Amino acid sequence: MRVVRERPNKLRGVWSKLSSYDEFKPFIALLALFVGSAILSPHFLSSYNQRILLLQTAPLALLALGESMIILMGSIDLSPGSAMALAGTVAAIAHTTWGHPLSVAILAGLATGALVGIINGLMVTKAKIPSFVATLATLVAGRGMVLILTGGQPIVGLSKFRIFTSDILTVPLMVWLFIIFAIFNFFLLKYTKIGVEVYAIGGNEEAARYSGINADLVKLGVFALAGIYYAIAGLMMDARLEVAYPWTGWGYELDAIAASVLGGIQLTGGVGSPIGPVMGAYMLTLITNILILLGVNPYYQWVVKGMVLAIAATALTRGLRYVK
Amino acid sequence: MPASGAVVLEARGIVKKFPGVVALKKVDFNLRSGEVHALVGQNGAGKSTFVKIVNGILRPDEGEIRVFGKKVFFKSPADAKRHGITLVHQEITLVPHMSVAENISLARIPTKIKGFGLLDKKFMEELATKVLDELGLHLNPWIKVKELSVGEQQLVQIARALAENANIICLDEPTSALTPAEVERLFEVINVLRRQGKAIIFITHHIDEVFRIADRVTILRDGHKIATLPISETDPQEVIKLMLGREPEQFYIRRRAHRVEEKQKPILVVKNLSTQPAKARGVRLKDISFELYPNEILGVVGLLGSGKTELGKALIGMEKVVKGEILFKGRRVRIKSPIDALKLGIFYLPEDRQKEGLVLLMRVRENIVISSLKNIVNILGVRRINLEKKIASEWVRKLNIVTPSIDAKVMNLSGGNQQKVVVAKALQVRPQILIFDEPTMGIDVGAKVEIRKIIADLANKGYSIILLSSDIDEVLALADRILVLSKGVKVASLINEGITRDELMRLMSQSIPP
Repeated sequence: MRVVRERPNKLRGVWSKLSSYDEFKPFIALLALFVGSAILSPHFLSSYNQRILLLQTAPLALLALGESMIILMGSIDLSPGSAMALAGTVAAIAHTTWGHPLSVAILAGLATGALVGIINGLMVTKAKIPSFVATLATLVAGRGMVLILTGGQPIVGLSKFRIFTSDILTVPLMVWLFIIFAIFNFFLLKYTKIGVEVYAIGGNEEAARYSGINADLVKLGVFALAGIYYAIAGLMMDARLEVAYPWTGWGYELDAIAASVLGGIQLTGGVGSPIGPVMGAYMLTLITNILILLGVNPYYQWVVKGMVLAIAATALTRGLRYVK
Repeated sequence: MPASGAVVLEARGIVKKFPGVVALKKVDFNLRSGEVHALVGQNGAGKSTFVKIVNGILRPDEGEIRVFGKKVFFKSPADAKRHGITLVHQEITLVPHMSVAENISLARIPTKIKGFGLLDKKFMEELATKVLDELGLHLNPWIKVKELSVGEQQLVQIARALAENANIICLDEPTSALTPAEVERLFEVINVLRRQGKAIIFITHHIDEVFRIADRVTILRDGHKIATLPISETDPQEVIKLMLGREPEQFYIRRRAHRVEEKQKPILVVKNLSTQPAKARGVRLKDISFELYPNEILGVVGLLGSGKTELGKALIGMEKVVKGEILFKGRRVRIKSPIDALKLGIFYLPEDRQKEGLVLLMRVRENIVISSLKNIVNILGVRRINLEKKIASEWVRKLNIVTPSIDAKVMNLSGGNQQKVVVAKALQVRPQILIFDEPTMGIDVGAKVEIRKIIADLANKGYSIILLSSDIDEVLALADRILVLSKGVKVASLINEGITRDELMRLMSQSIPP
């Protein structure tokens, strides 16, 4: 009797231990999509396709990392798409029009992203504008800035940006970058002071403030850091296409939020793994990829993405009494 | 309409348990038609839990409820409404941007042609006018609710209850935000309802109101029903006495009162402190002055609405100070936020642990170190997890925190153990002044004793403590000096020597007319 009983119990113990990790659900979803795609299309597993998939994931992953940090803090950011475009544009103009070397152009891009983040942070903490509205303002104004700077025309001549797409140890640099930033972000949120503070503010801002956490400063810092992540995504877009398009990143804020949700980040704040959004970004890209491989009418990908998102969100909020 | 005086609602042996605490312990209660039945008790006595059960918001763990003699099981507030029971919440539950008429018919919006959803505005207006007239209120039914005063909004909520054909109306602290004139108007309306034969449960913490409006009063304390008395056979003193009660001596930790020596300098001096309430229903403090000495426990007592919590929060910058000054070790300081307070070594342990004290979704160890992170991280801001675990384990051992592990989420702990986590967090910042706000409220008796022991120990070890509490036995047992507040004003400052609880109670209830 005993022997028969013990084994399933042990298994169940391992299972419940595994499923208690925030990364568990998104990982299972990712695994299922990956295996499913491999079965559906023989081209899916080819190294060429996997390479494309990772190259396409990279910018979205950076956006999702920034977005998820802000969602974990209990706020929302609608500006990633515009911030990445503005940073990419500034870097491109600095390089081509103003003739600065690549390194200076990159720094200018990063500074632009940080500036957008700081403006968001100041609007939320000082002007007390709810983050949804504050970042909606930067979404609109940021895109306006891009159009003014570019005159609505693409900026060409970015061949030096190719360094991002060139291989290091058989993998393109920008893929390394997104892996490095994913690890950095995980470390930041799980193993540093600011990480605990982000989770505390998202979990219960009132208690965090009573505990003596400088919530305004943390918010400002996190918005700024998220802006830098968006800027890196913008540089990646410049590199991938070797052109800075004025409409780059249009609508990407929604993909960033979707990636966060798919990655198990709860929109109420304070819950979710910092690595989840990277998985979410990979899943969103994978869905587009497999549908193209299967030759499905590309317009369907939006419908499929929407359905996957709704299913994921349902799985996440199961057991709640009601949500808003 | 039932005959006047008949029992319309009866609750028998109601038990309600929450994780770690029993909120109601075999409570019996009955309500007659045409009666105003006051329900009184301290914070955490179980009043709100009880009316929530009667209204189907919570389900009892044991016991039964009968409405008009018929046993009922409410699954939702809508269920209770179908039986003619309505709760008028303490907070305004009207939609501010909608009209009075729309709000009154919100639960059953009248439509013209069945199934087409076309609003029947005429019917809405008639219904609103009818119930407003019944209550003697002359309001334009098309005025938006946000244009009304809080008092009028409260009355509209009662009108809505009438429109829903309620026979049993529960009023949860309806007067707490009203001006005296508005209270008069509310009482007129309550009298109208009584004449109509409605049965009313009236929750309040103003004892004078009980004696003005109620027919009977039921007193709850710590989840027990203490007594139900006809108003004609009791007096305010007796009700307060029953309300505050007295627990067996052994639950109180006596400490030898610490005497302030003459040459000793106070660590904190508060002079003429006046505040503007940060919350809509907050109490305005007026000209509060006191000193706090090292090694001392300063008890601050007062009934609900006396301003105890506001005093505690003013000292950490969470209430707006409009006048007066605070001297810390003789130096004038401006405390604008808990961050400033923390720098000085002043830490406030909130009454509302779950909302203000803890991040429930985070681990025990994270909650313990959350206020002292800067001492636990290295120069780059990286957490030293091992040190964190060591510190948390030490507190768990020292304070006897019952938790599955230091990695468990705080929300899984009982109330008493949650409070101990807050205490651990406070002590980890090595403060000099600790402000405990109702530290033993809503936790079980065993944990109460432990928390009181901890507070006594801390004072002996040299901490200065401000103990805000409505448990006067707790204050009498622990405090060296006692400050009595009433409606934001300091009414007395006493040395805890030979004061009787009767005297203290009399001071606390001073605003009650004899």
